[in-house]
Amino acid sequence: MDVVPGEALMLVGGNGAGKTTLLRLMAGLLKPNRGTIHYSGAVGMVAHHTMMYDALTARENLTFFGRLHGLPRDGRVDRLIDLLGLTHARDQRIATYSRGMLQRLAIARALLHEPDVLLLDEPLTGLDDAASHTVLDVIDELKRRGAALVIASHQLVELIGAVARVGYMVAGRLAALEPIAGLDAGGVVSRYRELVAGDG
Amino acid sequence: MGELLRVTAAIARKDLKVEWRTKTAFVSSLVFAVLVLAVLYFARDKTSVGDYDLAPGALWVTFTFAGMLGLNRAFLLERENRALDGLRLTPTTPTALFLGKVVGNLVFLGVVELVSLPLFILFYDVPIWRQLPVLLGVVALATVGYVAVGTLLSAMVVRTRFSEVMLPVLLLPFLVPPIVSAVQLTWRILALRPLSEMTGWLSLLAAFDVIFFTLSLLLFEAILVE
Repeated sequence: MDVVPGEALMLVGGNGAGKTTLLRLMAGLLKPNRGTIHYSGAVGMVAHHTMMYDALTARENLTFFGRLHGLPRDGRVDRLIDLLGLTHARDQRIATYSRGMLQRLAIARALLHEPDVLLLDEPLTGLDDAASHTVLDVIDELKRRGAALVIASHQLVELIGAVARVGYMVAGRLAALEPIAGLDAGGVVSRYRELVAGDG
Repeated sequence: MGELLRVTAAIARKDLKVEWRTKTAFVSSLVFAVLVLAVLYFARDKTSVGDYDLAPGALWVTFTFAGMLGLNRAFLLERENRALDGLRLTPTTPTALFLGKVVGNLVFLGVVELVSLPLFILFYDVPIWRQLPVLLGVVALATVGYVAVGTLLSAMVVRTRFSEVMLPVLLLPFLVPPIVSAVQLTWRILALRPLSEMTGWLSLLAAFDVIFFTLSLLLFEAILVE
C-alpha cells in the first residue's frame, strides 16, 4: 500500500476491521510485528481522542504542542483557531468544549506543524455541516499543497469526493486497494460487502 | 542542548500549569502530610518516645507517601484524552519527556516538602533553624533519586488498570536505600552530630541518585513504546 504526495486515500471497513490500528501503526504509535512503514516529512494525526489536556485552553494546548514541534510564535495558533471556528472559545478550558469543538481542535493540533502526511480517523465525527465543509476544504488545500492523506471513516457520502482511492479493510487485512473510479458511496459499500463475503 | 532544555521546560511548565489549575494532587498531598504528621505525633507515648527519635521517621514517611500522590498524577494526566500519543507524535525525544516530567515532579514535591517542613517543626518542636540548610540539602538529594525512579515507574504503571495501587507496590522497595539514608542523616542533623558521621550515608544517597537517575533515563524510552 502506498500513498503519494497530493493524494487522499480512504480506508473503509466495519468495526474492528483494523482501520484505527493501521493508522496508529502508520503514525508510529504502535510497533508492527512485521512489515515496514516508510514516509518522508512530518506526520500529523487526528484520532478518536483529542490528545490534549482538559485543564488547558485551546490556545494553551496548541501553543504547547507548537513548542514541542519547535515552531516559531508566528500567529499560526490563532489562525488555526480562527480557521476552525473556535475563536469565541479560544481561552476556555477545553473540558467545557462540546464533542464537535473538540474534534475541530484536534484537527487544528494535527495541522499545526503543516504535516506532509496526515492520518485522519473519523475526522467528521461530531461536526455540524459548516464545520464538516471547513474540514473538507482543509483536506482539499492539503492535497493541493502536496500532503498525503489517509482517512478512515464510515462517513462515505461526505468524504467520497475528496479521495482518489479506497482501501477495503476486512478482518485486520487490507483486502483490496482500488481507485474510486466513479463509484458513489453505495458502490463502495457494495464492493465492501463483496469482499467481506469473499473473505468469509 | 538548547532544544532539549526548551522542550524539557515546556513539558514541566505544562504539568505545573495543569496542577495549578486543578490542584488535585497538591491538595491531596498536603492534607495527607498534615494528617500523617498529626497522627504520628498524637499516637506516640511521649514518656517513652522522644521528639528526636520519632521526628526523622515521621518526616520521611510524610514526604514519601505525600510524594506518591503527585507521582501517580504525573502520567495519569497523559492518559487523559491519550495526550501521551499527542506527545509521541511530536519530535519530542524520550529524554526530553523524562526530564520534563522529572522537573515537574521535583517542583511539585519540593513545594509539598517546603509547606510540610514548618508543620513538622511545629509538631515536633525541633529547633532546626541553624541546621536548616544542611537538612534542605539532604531533602533535595533524597528527593532527586526518589522522583527519578518514581517518574519511570509512574510511566510504567499508567497503562495498568490499578496504577494508583501498583505504583507504591513497585516503588517502595526501590526507596529503601534513599529513605533509610535520609532518615539516618536527618536524625544526625537534628542531634547536631559531626559531618564525619554523615559521610557514609551521604555517599549512599549520592550514589543512589547517580545510578538510578541514569538507569531511569536510559529505560524510559523502552517504557514509552506500546
